[in-house]
Amino acid sequence: MNPYLAGVFLGSVLLASFLVLGAGLGASSGLARIAAALELSIAKTHTLSSEYFGKWGETPLNYYLVFMFVGTVLGGLFSALAAKRISFQLEKGKAASRLLRISFALIGGIIIGYASRLAQGCTSGQALTGGALLLTGSLVFLICLFAGGYLAAYFVRRQWND
Amino acid sequence: MIDTLYSLNILDTSLALLISLVLGILFGVALEKAGFGSSRRLSGIFYFKDMAVLKVMFTALITAMLGLLYAQALGLISVESVYLMPTIYGAQIIGGLLFGIGFVMSGWCPGTAAVGLASGKWDALICILGAILGSILFNETFHFIQPLYTNGNQGILFLSDSLHLSKGVTAFLFTIIGIAAFWGVEKIEQKVTGKSEYLGSQFLKIFSFVLFSAALGLMLIYGQTTRKALVYPFFKNTQTACLFSEQALLQKVEEAQDHIAAEELAERLLNNNQEVLLVDVRPENEYANFHIKGAVNIRLSDLSEQLIGYKNQGIIVLYSNGMTHPAQARDSLNRQGFNNVYILTDGLLGFVDLCLKPVALRSEPVPDGLAQKINLWRGYFLGQAKGQKGVEEVRNFAHKAPGLIDTQWLSENYKKPDMKILDLRSQNEYNTSHIPGSLAISPESFRGVVKGVPSVLLPAAILSQTISLMGIKPNDFVVLVYGEKPHDATLVSMVFERLGHENYGILNGGFLKWQSEGRLVDTELPKVIDSSYRLNYADNFTVYYKTVLQAIKDKDAIILDVRPQDYYLGQKSDEARAGHIPGAINRPYTEDIRKADKYSLFKTVDELTTAYKSIIPTNASKIIVHCRTGHQASQTFFILKNLLGYTNVYWYDGGWTEWSARKELPIK
Repeated sequence: MNPYLAGVFLGSVLLASFLVLGAGLGASSGLARIAAALELSIAKTHTLSSEYFGKWGETPLNYYLVFMFVGTVLGGLFSALAAKRISFQLEKGKAASRLLRISFALIGGIIIGYASRLAQGCTSGQALTGGALLLTGSLVFLICLFAGGYLAAYFVRRQWND
Repeated sequence: MIDTLYSLNILDTSLALLISLVLGILFGVALEKAGFGSSRRLSGIFYFKDMAVLKVMFTALITAMLGLLYAQALGLISVESVYLMPTIYGAQIIGGLLFGIGFVMSGWCPGTAAVGLASGKWDALICILGAILGSILFNETFHFIQPLYTNGNQGILFLSDSLHLSKGVTAFLFTIIGIAAFWGVEKIEQKVTGKSEYLGSQFLKIFSFVLFSAALGLMLIYGQTTRKALVYPFFKNTQTACLFSEQALLQKVEEAQDHIAAEELAERLLNNNQEVLLVDVRPENEYANFHIKGAVNIRLSDLSEQLIGYKNQGIIVLYSNGMTHPAQARDSLNRQGFNNVYILTDGLLGFVDLCLKPVALRSEPVPDGLAQKINLWRGYFLGQAKGQKGVEEVRNFAHKAPGLIDTQWLSENYKKPDMKILDLRSQNEYNTSHIPGSLAISPESFRGVVKGVPSVLLPAAILSQTISLMGIKPNDFVVLVYGEKPHDATLVSMVFERLGHENYGILNGGFLKWQSEGRLVDTELPKVIDSSYRLNYADNFTVYYKTVLQAIKDKDAIILDVRPQDYYLGQKSDEARAGHIPGAINRPYTEDIRKADKYSLFKTVDELTTAYKSIIPTNASKIIVHCRTGHQASQTFFILKNLLGYTNVYWYDGGWTEWSARKELPIK
């Protein structure tokens, strides 16, 4: 799809979210809530008494952004099915090893999970949502996100070597 | 005007969850259609190969931004009904840099990884598992990272305010930068990959033009309104020379162009300035409790409708307890073309502090001129009838009370007829010497067995009888005088709290300070005529063990155990079981008291504020205080509620006596 039209579509969804929910889109919060639920199932009292997850109580999944995250997976599935774009694969450069790509995906994921809690949001909740609200901090986050990405890009380029 | 689910506070209902699911589905479709189900494509932006991320993201951002601003201009929605994230520089800079590194490594961000997962990408699954681990890691290291998490917190901060531009101009500039970026990245793509699908295309030209026109239109609608400076000669209508620096104040007004200083507002209202429309935007019940004389109460969401007749006529001044809400409302009204909206500097709390706090209660010396002003203001705003100073002076206290009073003030006022002084020391101490006119009463006479629990505050009906026997009337100002233990006074203050008699103060330093300053004492018994004190039950702060138990389960309250530490730790015990309520935080009541050589004083509000800030996150946090019998905890209750302004404080009177004796209740 034309990226600009896709952007208008995405922006309209965000606008609808502002008008109806009174809150923008979000993804990392949903993941963090799932993380809290997992930690609860392993170490209940520890989690409940922890400072960050503890305040979400015993039912962290009962939260609108968890449902939004589930919806995002479903929406992606519908769209990918309709366009026949589902293919089971590990995306990487042809010359890169599977191990390299898996390690980068895992470590990158951990960093993303951590950083989005620190900044109270990710590309969706801070950069996109806060950016559209013209909030200073969210735009600072957006700039730093690209700065961090470009700084690190050179060092992890091998995973895309063909 | 749309009421969003957030503004109605129903984001946790099943309707909200269902809507979120639907919005999530649309979000997923949009991301997938944009081609974001591929990590290779997403990371292309960092190698200048595929700039789709920037194109989609900035288009979406600008679309939603313009849409929301148009919706506000049309009066469809006000920005207060949208959840706004605070700007926290430290966390957002470091978080952003880290996030960027994680993004380029994994090739995903949380939203796109969800779509990648749905498209069958194993690396998306791995990334999601990593992000879950990262979240858990964050929780486990929260204590360590917390200083950074709140570092540089600016509260809600809009780019327009950071840049000192109007919202319309900011949005317009942002759109221009976006359009330039689209052309720029198309060029980059052409250079790096040798082809660009849209560079110079009819589509991009039209698209750019549409965005440009929309932003331009918006800027014209919002107007390039800069707020006028509100500079009036301060105190121009009074001959009284005011001794604090007029210059400094004027300068302050000039710098904070959209604010009006408390003193200036007071002067204008006092002089019956018809130009000022004062609007209290707090909830109705708070307004009913107390508001600045002459203020009208309008809900935030109704402001633009109700104020339309005052648009650019005279001056509209908004206030709340603090400044955030009025500032947001002012911005919103500003966008709707109101150029005459100002907010009260430091809100109602600042106003009370600066203009209405009795001179006797101020820590810094007050020049005579200002003291006269303050008396005038107090007279006007606190409803004092002219020429009746003596008695009314005491009544005025109602608006500062409950609070602490000092010996100097009491020595000037103790003879007034509406003043009732209760001496809480032992009978023989009272008999040998007391403040003239004071009545002896033991704090224990207000406590007894209720439902089998010993030493709890008696029911309101009994309390009001005891109060009647002392001749206290609802309008009296009651002064509580302790001996060595400030918490004797605070225990008795719970009586007046329960009866809704807010017109009381505690003599800071107690009888011993009064005595050590050589002030007048005598041994006479005062004459008392019984009153019939109305039975009034204003107690919404006493909680029972079930509430505490529920609070532990819900984790929605901070439980403050104010007993000495060795009792909290279970090293000492006079009760059925030793230890403390699970999750309770220990803040011994003795920490809040300073011992002078002859008497005990409450620590200063500054000291107490700092101490409790580190324990309690916000003024509205739910707090349950308890000790063994409710006695010591009454002191913490008084401090939090009446000195520090915490609004959600509860008192578990039964305390450890009851908790430890109920074997079914958990302890630690």
